[in-house]
Amino acid sequence: MKTTGAMLGALLCSAFCMSTFSGCKKAAVLVTPNQAFGSYDTEPDWSDSTKEVKLGYQESQGKRIFYQYCVWCHADATPAGPSNRSNLTPMPPLMNDGEKLNAESDEALQSMIALGGSALGKSAMMPPYGKTLSVGEIKAVIAFTRAIARPTYQARGQVLVPTVVKQ
Amino acid sequence: MSVEETGKLSKKLRLTFAVATVVCVIVLAISPLKDFRAEWKHYKRWFVKYAESRPDTKRLLADYSPNIDQIWLPGMNLTDRCTTCHQGITQPTLADDAVPQPFRAHPPVPHHVRQWGCTTCHRGQGPATEVSEAHETTLAWEKPILPARYLQASCGSCHQADLKEAPQLARGRELLTHLNCAGCHKLNNVDRAALGPELSSIGYKVSREWIYKWLKEPRTIVDKDGNTTVNGYESETEPRMPKFRLTEEEILALSAFLSVQKAKPIEIYKINPAVVAAWSKRPDLLSQGEVRFRQMMCTTCHSLAVTRAGETKIIGGEIGPELTKVGSKVNEEWLVAWLRRPNSYLEHANMPRYGWSDEDLYNVSQYVMNKLTDSDLLSNVPKLDAPAEEEIKTGKRLFTEKGCASCHALSGVAPQKEFGPDLTALGSKNASELEFGKAKIAHHLVAYIQAKLQDPVSVNPAARMPQYNWEQSDLDAVTTALLSQTGPAQTSDLQHLVVARKDAFFQPVGAFAQVYERYKCYVCHRFNGYGGTLAPDLSFEGSRAQKKWIADFLKDPQTIRPTLILRMPQFNISDKEAAIAAEYLTMAVQKADVDPESVDARQFTPAMVSLGKQLYELKYQCQSCHTIGGSGGYVGPNLNNAAGWLTPAWIEAWLRDPQALQPDTIEPRRNFTEDEIRALAAYLMTQRTGIKPLTTKTAAITRSLTQGEGR
Repeated sequence: MKTTGAMLGALLCSAFCMSTFSGCKKAAVLVTPNQAFGSYDTEPDWSDSTKEVKLGYQESQGKRIFYQYCVWCHADATPAGPSNRSNLTPMPPLMNDGEKLNAESDEALQSMIALGGSALGKSAMMPPYGKTLSVGEIKAVIAFTRAIARPTYQARGQVLVPTVVKQ
Repeated sequence: MSVEETGKLSKKLRLTFAVATVVCVIVLAISPLKDFRAEWKHYKRWFVKYAESRPDTKRLLADYSPNIDQIWLPGMNLTDRCTTCHQGITQPTLADDAVPQPFRAHPPVPHHVRQWGCTTCHRGQGPATEVSEAHETTLAWEKPILPARYLQASCGSCHQADLKEAPQLARGRELLTHLNCAGCHKLNNVDRAALGPELSSIGYKVSREWIYKWLKEPRTIVDKDGNTTVNGYESETEPRMPKFRLTEEEILALSAFLSVQKAKPIEIYKINPAVVAAWSKRPDLLSQGEVRFRQMMCTTCHSLAVTRAGETKIIGGEIGPELTKVGSKVNEEWLVAWLRRPNSYLEHANMPRYGWSDEDLYNVSQYVMNKLTDSDLLSNVPKLDAPAEEEIKTGKRLFTEKGCASCHALSGVAPQKEFGPDLTALGSKNASELEFGKAKIAHHLVAYIQAKLQDPVSVNPAARMPQYNWEQSDLDAVTTALLSQTGPAQTSDLQHLVVARKDAFFQPVGAFAQVYERYKCYVCHRFNGYGGTLAPDLSFEGSRAQKKWIADFLKDPQTIRPTLILRMPQFNISDKEAAIAAEYLTMAVQKADVDPESVDARQFTPAMVSLGKQLYELKYQCQSCHTIGGSGGYVGPNLNNAAGWLTPAWIEAWLRDPQALQPDTIEPRRNFTEDEIRALAAYLMTQRTGIKPLTTKTAAITRSLTQGEGR
């Protein structure tokens, strides 16, 4: 009788302890969605075709806008084949040129795109896009530039706020 | 029982009672302890600690509560407790990658979390309060969170119309249509449009041997070293026809059945004997055929394998089939009949009906039959006899059984209905509803869809679905589009939010209708949202271009955009047809508020012109994208002939707001003053160094002189 009671007690105790501690064991496993569920989008690394850059939502929207509006002069290969870049003097920077663009603040790039080159005392060949693209779209392009920059842009991954994505 | 014994028993009882009490107290204590240690509370406490370690603690903890947080949207049948742990989701200062999950802010998206919840887009189990239950498949919940790569699928559950923000979804839907998935499967919002060629009269077009070869191994291209560069089934630039895993007997039977399909006799055309006689005396005419083939810009729609610097590449358009070996495929009489009247063989052919002279027709057909060939094409095909009755019968049965009739029309064979499973709710299926067979893959909807697409028999040995070859990006796109097929919306609130797709159709009336149909303008050009996207949208052509220019251009199309490789074919259009088209396009397709007559170029003064030139060259530096004279950029159209091409009213309207005329144009809208607009228009209206207007005949001659060497 005594042994039965003790055994019963021990069994109950261990069962509850197990259920309690199995709970905390799970809590220790942290889910990092970026690893577990893949990246939203990718872009091949322009300087190393074997690598891929992972893009978040905003950067991916920037990629789409870049390939529609900017690629013609800010890349050496375009969806249509030849690029207009080498045709221009001064030659526009490649969009992944970290040495040139990392030094510029987000605000400087924002005005550059919105107001064009002539407003900032640079080449008038860069036209203003402030009346064509929304503020959110321009921020997305900047986020994309930061993502593909080589050498890497230090504050990358920071979502540029406040942002209203144009519907 | 003695007293002593009773005492012993009561002592025993007391001990049991004591043990039971202790157990009971422990049990009672475990419950609050377990509650205290609940997984979500751990994240609650961690968030407080994390917020306290930051300078903006006060703001981060402003609406903190130690309890479960939830977003409840009864109309959408949604209860999401995700914000219990994802506490920084709406905190803009937590957007940084350095912020640990689950506290990071959500990137800015058009739908706010308070209005839409989380599971509307991410799926997963909203009411769950444990990490694994919310995100993963459990015994009681089989709809895990959607991997970020396929997130656009959720956009597609409500947005039936294509969204520019979701390019992967749009590509996937395009592929579902292009590969005619709707031929076998029921799909929501996907057209059953792009059928394979009708086979009713295939017996006139190709031999039984060719059919055999095609069924076994379509389109193989070998480079000069004997390496296979294009293999229809294995390379990524494959034909639309997928691999059907046919046995030798099945191929024999199908080739027998198809080779006797001669429902509608072809019109045999007799080319002028003088032309044929001239050909036999002039060996150089074969190259003339090639020149005409290039001049007519056949490669805008058809591709050819080209070997340059030892590398074989497929170059050309994708609207029509690839033609590298077509001379070893088709029958010559069929080719001539096809070139003259594509519609009489295939009612819905995309191929325009060119205007042919006997010389051109003979030269081009001889070039195709003699140069676009491969003597080895049918070398590994066994000797095939005349089809036996039995083979034909089996072939007919197989044609239906294998699902051929889902893509190919054939007179006498009814197209199958619901040949494959209904996929309209595939995206909301539970893993237990899917058949995984012996495949060693994760029991997960995404893994299933990808395995099924890549190798249908891997999940079901008896699968009838043929095998496609995918580039990784296309596989992901199709997966996304399939995951978006989630059936009807769950609740009425969602149902009325569904964004329907607009269906456009454009059919002109009057004399132009015949020209439009004969030259298949809509295959490349778009009119009011209907038609192809390869060439410029012509919805407002009447406001943009001058009538005379349109007529001249149709007779001798010159490229306006220097970077274009694919160009408008030269149809040998007659003067009368060109006039009809020019008349219709200038009168009937205009932008309502851009009347081409509203600005008169005669009012422009030399002062305006010189101001315009200054603005163009110095202030705005338009030459970065446009060419005038010999120099300038390649991005926008060449403006050398702006005065002969554009209407001044269009130039002014365009400079005011380009996106109002063409929403996706890359030319930015700028702050021009009205005077600047007038001056720029005046300057552009002095640019008239275009091509001389030519008649149909002289155009052909000039082309053969200037471009005789080909591209």
